[in-house]
Amino acid sequence: MTAQVIRALLLALLSIVVALPVGHFYAPWAGWVVFCGGLGLQMLFHFRNFARLDRWSRAPVVDSSLEGEGAWDGIFGRLYRHEKDLRAQIARRDAEIAMLIAAGQALTDGVVLLDNQNQILFCNTTAEMQLGLVVKTDRGQPVVNLVRQPEFVAYLTDEDFSRPLTLRSDRNEDRVLSIYVIPYAGDRRLMQIKDVTQTDRLDRMRRDFVANVSHELRTPLTVLAGFLETLQEIEVDREEQARYLAMMSEQSLRMQSIVQDLLTLSSIESAPPPDNEPVDMVNMIDKLRRDAEALSAGRHTVVVETDGQGDLRGSEPELVSAFANLVSNAVRYTPPGGTIRISWRASSQGAEFAVQDTGIGIDPKHIPRLTERFYRVDRGRSRDAGGTGLGLAIVKHSLSRHQAQLDIKSTPGLGSRFAARFPASRVAGI
Amino acid sequence: MNESQHLSSQFDEELSRLRTHVLQMGGLVETQVSAAIDAYSTGEIASVKTIVETDRKVNELEKAIDDDCAHIIAKRQPTASDLRLVLGISKIVTDLERAGDEAKKIAKGVRRIYENGHMPSQYGVGIRHLAEAALTMVREALDAFARLDTVQATEVIRADSEVDTEFKSIIRQLITHMMEDPRTITTAIDIISIARAIERIGDHAKNVSEQVVYVVEGRDIRHTKELIK
Repeated sequence: MTAQVIRALLLALLSIVVALPVGHFYAPWAGWVVFCGGLGLQMLFHFRNFARLDRWSRAPVVDSSLEGEGAWDGIFGRLYRHEKDLRAQIARRDAEIAMLIAAGQALTDGVVLLDNQNQILFCNTTAEMQLGLVVKTDRGQPVVNLVRQPEFVAYLTDEDFSRPLTLRSDRNEDRVLSIYVIPYAGDRRLMQIKDVTQTDRLDRMRRDFVANVSHELRTPLTVLAGFLETLQEIEVDREEQARYLAMMSEQSLRMQSIVQDLLTLSSIESAPPPDNEPVDMVNMIDKLRRDAEALSAGRHTVVVETDGQGDLRGSEPELVSAFANLVSNAVRYTPPGGTIRISWRASSQGAEFAVQDTGIGIDPKHIPRLTERFYRVDRGRSRDAGGTGLGLAIVKHSLSRHQAQLDIKSTPGLGSRFAARFPASRVAGI
Repeated sequence: MNESQHLSSQFDEELSRLRTHVLQMGGLVETQVSAAIDAYSTGEIASVKTIVETDRKVNELEKAIDDDCAHIIAKRQPTASDLRLVLGISKIVTDLERAGDEAKKIAKGVRRIYENGHMPSQYGVGIRHLAEAALTMVREALDAFARLDTVQATEVIRADSEVDTEFKSIIRQLITHMMEDPRTITTAIDIISIARAIERIGDHAKNVSEQVVYVVEGRDIRHTKELIK
């Protein structure tokens, strides 16, 4: 700094040194002109640098470097370096923030950040899908404006976040969400949303299973116990006694078949993978047709559609029981006069066994749960038809052991089609 | 300067609170409608009571919001878009409240049918489809209001004619059934009233969307064919 002052003074002195002889020998005013001219030159020099700084400060760019002259160069250099460092720092921070956001996006749980007014600050794509938000337009919008379910609004306004809220989403059918709210940074809130649909379903299935087993076994047991009591307490004639015994044996057979089915199911579940022996399909289809005709007793038309090509690889007893189950279902749920169509098609891509009926059909909402144990579309009807409620569960298990998919299509009142699709690895003789 | 800024931000907050209240009321109506549909397909009559109770809450909210609108107009004397927002809201709440009433009607109709016996399954799919379409309209109309999104509002208005067409085809189907078998008439009449209520819910959603367009653009598109270009 002092160097600059000394330099300015020296320059002024130089002007004086030049101006004095001019003033003395020529004319005093000329001396003044030279002196002022010297100072003016100095001012011009500073002003030029000042203008440069002024221009740069309006749009500080770091790609064209800021250069000054003389004393200004040092200042300009420091300013320029400072600006450059700041920019590098900002770029680093930006990259860090972008990485954090990317991490937030990568989470499989939904995340929504809220401010103290419950307005949306940020949400990731998972949350967008779960709650039907669009982060671009919804930033700053109170979250309750878009997630309007009263349970959610109450949960957020009650401010008791000790337990998560379980919410059945109204935008995505049948999704069950578990919402945690975690306060952070003072009065901000982080909402974490887990999709618990699968767990919820498993829980319900387990609960239902125990309840159903007990219920299914209790019903015939009650009948048995009732008749036993009657026979013990009251004298009944021989004919009546025979009738009671017939009913009792019918009920005990029912219980037996339920237990049998349960055992089959558990043995399929724990059995080793099915063998790879080819199963003669022509023979099997023929047998299925005869079974269907026997069960129908002439009330339905049974049609077989097959070109006789290809066989399946797998366990014959399991496949027979699965296919027979589909066929007997079709017969039982088709009113007299209907048609049962059994088809078998195989190609190098895979094979399909299908049973199509013109029966009562199934409401679409039941189809996803149809293969659950003891799931019944119509309790009364199914039991009257002699079902244990386990048939399709066994079918699905046997098929999935053969890597096959069970595809169910149905229109109420028109009929259903149950198709088992096998992958190419299970097809033989093509 | 400072004072007026302070006042106007307070005013903004009041407006935003009002909007949130409207949307909360909308949320209640949405649950009412979806609960009514569930009751229809599952036959769980227990939820009918909840729907009727929710309706009471909806009615209270309607009154409270109307009150707030009157207060804001009197106290703040809003102009331009703020005024349109307040006016629009006072019409939207009327439509929402009526949609809630229709949901109540559906619930009561369902109860009547199940109390008299079975729900004939052949109408299930059609009615449910219609109801889902109407529920989607309500949801999207409210979304459009929350986001002040006229594009979505326009879509809702278009969807209404689809719901109307579907409603008519259900009625035709029911008439055929009634002519074939007069024993079904009692149930069919109940189902017609349910279908009618669903169709009305769609209409109310359409009205809400028209108000959204009015609030945002200042264009009154009621009773015009302006949208269907």
